[in-house]
Amino acid sequence: MKKYLAAFMALAMAATALTGCGGGETATDETSGDVYKVAYIARAQSDSFAAWLANEMVAAAEEYPDIELTVFDGQADDAKENSAIENAIANGFDAVIVQPNNGEAQRPYVEQVVAAGLVAITTNSRIADIEGASSVDADPYKQAQVNAELALEQVPENAKVVVLNGPSGNFHADERRVAWQEVFFDARPDVTIVGEDYANWNKDEAMALMEDWTIAHGDIDAVISMNDNMAAGALEVVKDNDMYDDLLVYGVDGTAEACLLIEEGRMTSTCLQSAIDLAALNLETVHKLLTGEETQIDTDIAEVLITQDNAAEYVEMYRERGQITD
Amino acid sequence: MKNSKASQLMTKYSIFFVLLVMIIISTLMNPNFLSGRNLTNIAVQLAVGTILAYGEMVLIVSGLLDLSSGAVLALAGVLSVSVYKTTGNLLLAIIVSLVVAIIFNMINAFFVANFAMPAFIVTLATQMAARGLALLYTSGQNILQIGSYAKLGQGKLGPIPIPVIFMIIATIVIAYIMNHTKLGRSFYAIGGNEEASIASGINVVKSKYLAFLINGVLVGIAGVLFMARVNAGLPNGAVGYEMEGLTAAIVGGTSFSGGVGTTSGTLIGSFIIGCLNNIMNLKGVDSYIQQVVKGCIIVAAVLYDTRFKNKKAPKVILQKKDENKEDTEKKEEAPAAKA
Repeated sequence: MKKYLAAFMALAMAATALTGCGGGETATDETSGDVYKVAYIARAQSDSFAAWLANEMVAAAEEYPDIELTVFDGQADDAKENSAIENAIANGFDAVIVQPNNGEAQRPYVEQVVAAGLVAITTNSRIADIEGASSVDADPYKQAQVNAELALEQVPENAKVVVLNGPSGNFHADERRVAWQEVFFDARPDVTIVGEDYANWNKDEAMALMEDWTIAHGDIDAVISMNDNMAAGALEVVKDNDMYDDLLVYGVDGTAEACLLIEEGRMTSTCLQSAIDLAALNLETVHKLLTGEETQIDTDIAEVLITQDNAAEYVEMYRERGQITD
Repeated sequence: MKNSKASQLMTKYSIFFVLLVMIIISTLMNPNFLSGRNLTNIAVQLAVGTILAYGEMVLIVSGLLDLSSGAVLALAGVLSVSVYKTTGNLLLAIIVSLVVAIIFNMINAFFVANFAMPAFIVTLATQMAARGLALLYTSGQNILQIGSYAKLGQGKLGPIPIPVIFMIIATIVIAYIMNHTKLGRSFYAIGGNEEASIASGINVVKSKYLAFLINGVLVGIAGVLFMARVNAGLPNGAVGYEMEGLTAAIVGGTSFSGGVGTTSGTLIGSFIIGCLNNIMNLKGVDSYIQQVVKGCIIVAAVLYDTRFKNKKAPKVILQKKDENKEDTEKKEEAPAAKA
């Protein structure tokens, strides 16, 4: 019995090795000639933005016949992500694009990529100051800033606001919060934060907080959320309550749900973090680096503020992707 | 005499007193606490967790547990939402959620009951598989625009929110099963002493299947309510909800050594956690501190539980310990012999 099991395990391992280290997703088929092998180490396929980005990376790679992209899943775990990077170095890839789970934890491994003479890119979010490595990102500070600047004009005097934070220690969560502090709260001492807590990017956690806050503080003038999921959760709570008709709600990410809510006039604004743009820029960057056109690139995608004026455009974008139906 | 009677009453209903004291303190801390709207909020926030907690209670009483309920909830809910979006048939969508959750629980039962695998391991494995399937099916994206499906989670029947109605029905049904049926008694028996229940003619395998079946039905209902409440199909939703369920059951006096636990205790356990969360949110306590407080409460509850049980039935504990020892010794011997 044990022998069979061992044989089966060996066979299973061989099979996974053949299919590319398990869970690998190859964008283009093996073609003859000069094909650059690029490994994309995704933070986690279980995080909706990371999953979207991974899908878009595969799609963007199809535009480049000389690039063969393989996606690996870091499973939101530093150890797994780090070993995926090591595997990529060992397995003859020409370039490794890393979407860190936790920048500092992956830093030495990205340095190993550079040391091995491969093209290294960190993306969403970048690991700054690695000599020889490039980076492609959206600037979380600016993403929050464009919303905060709008809020400066819109939030009424002596307003009561609540703040929904992403997970503590997350680079994007923290930077977005810093931007709100510096651009908005420091400039508006009249505004009171009546509630602030971590909803960890989650809609359900944000709902529970908002339910309790509306009871504890009654009238709330604005919800300042570090992402759209939590903003949508807060809106879910007050959607049938006339008292909150004028509630201002700010998010970041430009998710399909947020675009719909903004189009309906229920949410105020968000900043699009487009996985499509990010993926396209990543592929463009890796291609430039591989072909030797450039040796080091640090670049950001543009921040697009979405308000009721332009929401329809992005609703249309999501409709084309099938995420929004009529 | 009187004193001991009073202390007996205290021990029996102590968990209820804890809740009562908490409610009084909470009301003093924030007068809004006892408002109808706040109490409704607490009940709605707790509905999904309590329903899962009943499943955990039934399983723990039977000497089992389920670590997969959060993930299975997400898979069942996401598939249900998706079926509703394509067919517009709410009944069919609910049935899909129930069927998916039941299938997963039958898989759990199959390995646990037929192969004597530990429930901890089996349900850990199904947790991963179910979460993976939910993410695979949705490509990790939220399903939006779920239409009137959301009414199941956000609507009201008269003054009572629909999730609360489901919670009340679940409470009644589970209490009835546990207290008034042969099946309920068989759960207590197999969890209390499996060998003895086999000797007394209880079909242990069948009882374990039925315990997982009940859990499956509850998880399926919870899947619908969760997705309807958040008005979306969230493949990443309900992460760690199995722990919320376990916590409520344990705080409510369900003993991890099996054979002990009640529906009312679980309900109160769930409300203790819920009121605690609520008052801390009302007072603006940071959610990371809330986690620490919850951790302390679990330890306190289990400490109380073990002390109480030691006093009450030392023999049973000793017996059980010996049995466990024998069991592990046997298990340890078996592979050694093979090798």
